[in-house]
Amino acid sequence: MPYHEFECSKCIPERKKHAVVKGPGEDLTHALPLGYLNTIPGSISERGCAYCGAKHVIGTPMKDVIHLSHGPTGCTYDTWQTKRYISDNDNFQLKYTFASDVKEKHIVFGAEKVLKQNIIEAFKAFPDIKRMTIYQTCATALIGDDVDAIADEVMEEMPEVDIFVCNSPGFAGPSQSGGHHKINIAWIKKKVGTVEPKITSDYVINYVGEYNIQGDQEVMLDYFKRMGVQVLSTFTGNGSYDELKGMHRAHLNVLECARSAEYICNELKVKYGIPRLDIEGFGFEPLSSSLRKIGLFFGIEERAQAIIDEETARWKPELDWYKERLKGKKVCLWPGGSKLWHWAHVIHEEMGVEVVSVYTKFGHQGDMEKGIARCEEGALAVDDPNELEGLEAMMTLKPDVIFTGKRPGEVAKKIRVPYLNAHAYHNGPYKGYEGWVRFARDIYNAIYSPIHQLAHLDISKDEIPTGAGFQTAKMLSDVNLSEEVVSSSILRQYTGKYDSVSDLRQKTYPEFKQ
Amino acid sequence: MEDLKERIALLEDYIMKKCLWQFHSRAWDRKTQNDNILMKATQLLCDEPVGLETPLDRCYWADALSLTEGFQSRFEWLAALSKEEIKELMEGLKERIDFVTITGSLNAELTDPRY
Repeated sequence: MPYHEFECSKCIPERKKHAVVKGPGEDLTHALPLGYLNTIPGSISERGCAYCGAKHVIGTPMKDVIHLSHGPTGCTYDTWQTKRYISDNDNFQLKYTFASDVKEKHIVFGAEKVLKQNIIEAFKAFPDIKRMTIYQTCATALIGDDVDAIADEVMEEMPEVDIFVCNSPGFAGPSQSGGHHKINIAWIKKKVGTVEPKITSDYVINYVGEYNIQGDQEVMLDYFKRMGVQVLSTFTGNGSYDELKGMHRAHLNVLECARSAEYICNELKVKYGIPRLDIEGFGFEPLSSSLRKIGLFFGIEERAQAIIDEETARWKPELDWYKERLKGKKVCLWPGGSKLWHWAHVIHEEMGVEVVSVYTKFGHQGDMEKGIARCEEGALAVDDPNELEGLEAMMTLKPDVIFTGKRPGEVAKKIRVPYLNAHAYHNGPYKGYEGWVRFARDIYNAIYSPIHQLAHLDISKDEIPTGAGFQTAKMLSDVNLSEEVVSSSILRQYTGKYDSVSDLRQKTYPEFKQ
Repeated sequence: MEDLKERIALLEDYIMKKCLWQFHSRAWDRKTQNDNILMKATQLLCDEPVGLETPLDRCYWADALSLTEGFQSRFEWLAALSKEEIKELMEGLKERIDFVTITGSLNAELTDPRY
């Protein structure tokens, strides 16, 4: 696999070792991009900081917690509401964000006093919430504020509250991934094992590395509950602070996003002997295989199989409707970390698209190993790309759609490439059988949007076809399909509801004897 | 021999595209995963008893059984192999997976002593 040098990055020669092309007959031992290193000066990275990784990605999806940043309000604002990790308690953690509002005078005279005032004020403003996480930021870390000491003081004065301190200032790592690591390790060291959970099933798991983006966790919980599996905690989407303190009593950790949460699984394995099973909630086959493996572990595989059969029969004809229309479309798969490998193969196999490039903003070399192993030959793999490299890749590869974050996504739109939000989704959830069809539907809508087609016309030079009528997405997508496919009585477009999650919250489940 | 190599390549490609267990973050974890899952997979393919004494054993076995079911549904030629041939095939596969994920891996984090 030869390294790939971007024209735009020739002035930053160190960048060359951060990109490779997967060549024919080559494997991971030929070349692997460098990863998880400090961004090279001169390269305008798309990464977040270690504070953002700890707070925004891992900490804040916990639902019953006051999440307070000890720092300027700007840090909090930039980690607030930009990811749709919803919860079943009226989205408390999304609605409110808290900061100690550190200003210049506090940098000079210390900010511990103002922190304590803010902690107490926040608890008084929300008397029903008794749990808090405090996130250190760059400024308060540099002046040496002892956040743990302040938290201990408050817990002594208010014995009904519990506070978790996360010491992951922005500079504590090359990217947000440094923050993922710090909060994983801090949580297991400080909180796991301090609560004894109530066990209600013979089959008990922690669901780890799942952030309930637009309801992903609730969809997966539905399957687990139908199998009679007790989910002791979810780390951390829609997760409860106290439930996460009882993680040590699970029989199995099932891990989705290894990039952000394998650390706590590995530590739970070493400290408590809980096995780690890597699973996938995306795609019919990987999800079915994952449910079956959980079933096998507990000896209840027939319960898993019943769900797989029911869900596949319900949703496969809809997935296949989109597959027929997405075959051969070129995709740049440019997410943050784990979706690089969760999606690289299964979107090719189950939706028929061609992945022409994978990149990761903050992934490690391990993520690149998985991603490159799963994509097809010829794909361009890039670590920590900058905006110009992204543009150059799009100009060269000419993708039909890219899956990425909203910042690079908006850049793509400027050169008429549609994008789907790989982090927060467009119309998720994307996990689960129905979710996977929703994803296919969103890809279809992005590629065949009639408005997008019009955007290709440049009114300053192109001839505008004023005589032609407006074309619908279906007119555009079906033009080269066979009559058999177009008029199939089996295949159909998505028939689910606009909101596929809320009903799950009212659902009742069979009781299995212990 | 060429036949064996080609068959190993097919099984390797299946593991690389469909599985995640071979890519734990540290060399010692990858070794443990590869050893246990591929050993159990070999036992399953050869109809030999598989140890399920501990929760860790059950976890390796769940991955191994899923793997062998995948192999058997995609590679019909497996059914025609003798136990000795299966063992030779799986030994070659194990060597290859160890090489790609551990000994030949360019991942600089594999030897980090901490998680």
